[in-house]
Amino acid sequence: MNRYPAADSSHAGVRRAGSLARSVLGHREVGVAVALILVFAVFFSMKRQFLGAGTLGDIVTVAAELGTVAVGVSFLMIAGEMDLSVGSNFALSGMILAMLITRAGWSPYLAFVVALACSACIGALNGAVTLTARIPSFITTLGAMMFWRGVGLFLTQGWPISVFADVPLLRWLGGGRVFSTLHISAVWWLILGGAFWMILQKTAYGNWVFATGGKKAAARALGVPVVKVKLVNFVLAGLLAGLAGCLQLGRMGSMSPVWGQDLPLEAIAAAVVGGNSLNGGVGTILGAMLGAVTMASIRIGLVMIGAPAYWYMSFVGFIVVAAVALNVKLGEVILWRR
Amino acid sequence: MEAVTGVCQGRRGQAPSPLMEGIGLCKHFGRVAALEDVDITIQRGEVTGLVGDNGAGKSTLIKILTGVYRPDGGELWFDGARVEFSSPKGARRLGIETVYQDLALVDDMSIARNFFLGAEPQRRIGILRLLDTHRMRRVTEEALRDIGISVRSAGDEVSVLSGGERQAIAIGRIMHFGGKLLILDEPTSALSVHETNKVLGYIDEARRRGLAVIFITHNLYHVYPVADRIVVLEHGRKVGDFRKEDTCVEDLVQIVAHGVGGVRPQSEESAPDGP
Repeated sequence: MNRYPAADSSHAGVRRAGSLARSVLGHREVGVAVALILVFAVFFSMKRQFLGAGTLGDIVTVAAELGTVAVGVSFLMIAGEMDLSVGSNFALSGMILAMLITRAGWSPYLAFVVALACSACIGALNGAVTLTARIPSFITTLGAMMFWRGVGLFLTQGWPISVFADVPLLRWLGGGRVFSTLHISAVWWLILGGAFWMILQKTAYGNWVFATGGKKAAARALGVPVVKVKLVNFVLAGLLAGLAGCLQLGRMGSMSPVWGQDLPLEAIAAAVVGGNSLNGGVGTILGAMLGAVTMASIRIGLVMIGAPAYWYMSFVGFIVVAAVALNVKLGEVILWRR
Repeated sequence: MEAVTGVCQGRRGQAPSPLMEGIGLCKHFGRVAALEDVDITIQRGEVTGLVGDNGAGKSTLIKILTGVYRPDGGELWFDGARVEFSSPKGARRLGIETVYQDLALVDDMSIARNFFLGAEPQRRIGILRLLDTHRMRRVTEEALRDIGISVRSAGDEVSVLSGGERQAIAIGRIMHFGGKLLILDEPTSALSVHETNKVLGYIDEARRRGLAVIFITHNLYHVYPVADRIVVLEHGRKVGDFRKEDTCVEDLVQIVAHGVGGVRPQSEESAPDGP
């Protein structure tokens, strides 16, 4: 019953070489890896200090907050849903934490738990509305984005809010440095990314997430609780957006109700650059994290070469299209070789 | 490897107790009778071809057998016991499994991840419960090879497989997990002749392992080579129920083409023991 009798004997060597190339190129992170190398090469050729420890620390630190949001958004996107409200959620969570510490005088730890709980509830609400009203999550979370932004602006009447006191929790969240310019928030992000990578690739739940986003009907027919999977992922996307807000408050000591407006699209950009599909069912956490690092590199690199920061968005736009096009091309080549 | 349940019983001679029976099944949608007083007997180790045009009631009948619909009238018996399904889950628990065309597998996932979807093997590492990916691949490859399906690697994505290979994996999955009644919805309608023959081979293998198979098709020629008995539906009624050896394909074509037309009465005595 062997379908490839000839291939197995005479083309074994070719096949092995081919399968090695395939196993490298077959990874969805190839596109973003190439993009990242390209960005590094461009900036390094213009400014030698770009590869210094200080710069790398800056890059990973800046990537941490965007990357935390991107991990949550990717996880949700793989299950076939979207969250545009992560930016508002991010700002609101940081503001709740800051206000409870400074104005209400709460214990920072309790305030942190409450801020995260609020973010998780926003995610749960997104999921509940999307799944019960059966409307696209794009619409639900577009509405949520506006609604929670408005709530955030109302809370501080549009003013930023700062924590001037030395709060150990905030130092632990993002203020402290572990090495050179690398803030501790980056360490939390890397641990978190590792955990989510593990859940997605190495647990039964991860298998359900892929199946739910890949072909809902097939997953449901095999007993996967697809609605529950989506709801959990909405909650996690909200939770991680809130955590990112708290990390940023920890690092910067303040939060403004207008921050994070570009965050949803940046997070989606990081995800798709990293090989995640907008249609769900496909993607990796590592890719999204590398996508976030790529975007942070552009941000830091432009500052280093003295270019106006306005170019950041243009650069990111170029990378998004180029990396996705490369991924599609690689996918075709790999399929064709089979 | 799990042992495959069900023993191939004597298919000729004395009537074995059927795996599943539907007696006098009725289903109405508003004033439309989708199914009227249909009897069907499914034997272990037999392939039953369920033939009829669009709207003949094939899918209504199958949805009753698999617990998607509740019949408005009639009884269902499984393994000698009266059963009523409130959901497809109940039917699946008894080992009634359906392969829907194009809906069986998730394209962007590997064969092994598809094979174990919803029943993933796990191993404990401390407090963590992780997928046993090595076992998933090994068992998938073994199980498929065992049934006569060769795939290059269980790590390959399903999207690179042909339609026949997908059917094969869906069928292999059901055999591996101890399904008793395998229902195939138009399994060969989108396949080439070569692929069709392969899928018929897997159906044959399922039969040899003692599974009961229902093969739904609107094309008699697709099921005739592999069927043991053929049930013909038209406008929600059973217009024919034959053992293959009692008939020939030309007669059946007449019945399917010209309908009830007084050709044969709906035979209540279409029991498996023949004439």
